[in-house]
Amino acid sequence: MLEGLYSAAAGMEAQQTQLDAISNDVANADTPGYQAEKIGFQDLLYTTDNALPSSAIVGAGAAASTVGFSQAQGTLQQTGNPLDLAIAGNGYFQVRMPGGTTALTRNGSFQLNAQGQITTSTGMEMVPPITVPKGTRPDQISVGPDGTVSVANRRIGRLRVVEVPAPDKLLPQGKSVFVATAASGAPRPVRGASVQQGFLEQSNVDLNVALTTMVSAQQGYSMDSRAISFESQLGQIAATLK
Amino acid sequence: MDLGLNIASAGMLAEQVQEDQLSNDLANASTPGYKPESSVQQSFGQLLLYNTSNGQAVGSIATGVEVSKGVTDLVQGPLQPTGQPLDFAITGSGFFAVQTPNGVQYTRDGRFSRNTQGLLVNQFGDTVLSPNGNPIRVGASGTVPPSALGVFNVRNPSQLGNNNFSGTAAGLAAGTVQQGQLEGSGINAIQAMVKMEAALNAYTAGQRTIGTISQTMQESASTVARIL
Repeated sequence: MLEGLYSAAAGMEAQQTQLDAISNDVANADTPGYQAEKIGFQDLLYTTDNALPSSAIVGAGAAASTVGFSQAQGTLQQTGNPLDLAIAGNGYFQVRMPGGTTALTRNGSFQLNAQGQITTSTGMEMVPPITVPKGTRPDQISVGPDGTVSVANRRIGRLRVVEVPAPDKLLPQGKSVFVATAASGAPRPVRGASVQQGFLEQSNVDLNVALTTMVSAQQGYSMDSRAISFESQLGQIAATLK
Repeated sequence: MDLGLNIASAGMLAEQVQEDQLSNDLANASTPGYKPESSVQQSFGQLLLYNTSNGQAVGSIATGVEVSKGVTDLVQGPLQPTGQPLDFAITGSGFFAVQTPNGVQYTRDGRFSRNTQGLLVNQFGDTVLSPNGNPIRVGASGTVPPSALGVFNVRNPSQLGNNNFSGTAAGLAAGTVQQGQLEGSGINAIQAMVKMEAALNAYTAGQRTIGTISQTMQESASTVARIL
């Protein structure tokens, strides 16, 4: 009785998940290297009421969850800053999180720390670490398409650009940083990608798509709430039977 | 017991089922490849009435309504471009096949990705099958040609949850695979809303009928009691 109340409520929760993901995407529309979240909707179990013939089924609603991150190439924006690096093609830069875990990011807005190490804008160093000689100015650093870092024509290291076999299963850590999981597979060197110095990759969030999806999620949400009101009227009517 | 009471309550039950199915349709307004569920109502068998004194037939009387079967409306959902190279949609008839732990199941949800073995899988990690029923390997470019995906005819498809259908495969279907697109939910929100309204009204009518019958019964009970 009144299964519809719960299936509609499940639908509202699913649309809420979608709205949360879009809000996050839109908020990160200007974050370099940000990858839009992909939300997957699914229907839930179906039951047959004892009073019904077995071919008539009533579903338990819907659920939504993150199923991955868009691998679409973001626009490369020229900045002229020698420590702005963008990946053209698939893959991620390898960085070390504060806890020591190796993580992956496409945000190539790098800087030099006090020790002369190349770090992300949030201070995470590269894996393997790259240290430039003391007194090096950023404009003396050149980075080749294969990630080779040289200072005044002397090679001092190589930025590793890696990919994982199943990028949809990477675990997001916030700040457009991901860690590899058993389901994503271990990082391996990427093929067919190049590092572009003096460029930043813009977020790959498509605002048109995000806003359209937002409107449809809101409509879905309000329709589910109407369904709840219909179901609750049924309950009220049944309660006034005499 | 008055026959009318049973007839009215059977009608209310049937409307309740409709309302629950419509709620589920609306909850799945964003589920890729979802197909609306509905139920078919039919009248119960009719009773033939006989005159008790001479045994002559006096005609038949209807005994209400029941849900006779469920129907999945395999309507084509709208195609939504996503630009994702591993999103696929079928236009026309047929289903993708996925190898689940519970055997091969069928789906119209083509939101696929690559697993660690480089195979094409759905969001639950089940491998997608080729026309020959084999797993599909994602190429070095990170994509799969649409022709690599099997599109199967399925006899008696029935929704199972997880965007999958059960059923028996019956050869390849005529539908074509579109890359970079997803098939949206097949529900028509406006129609669903109108049907919910209609079912609610029919439900209310059933309740009124029960109220009226119960009033007449009360009336006859008290009047007959007074006469006696």
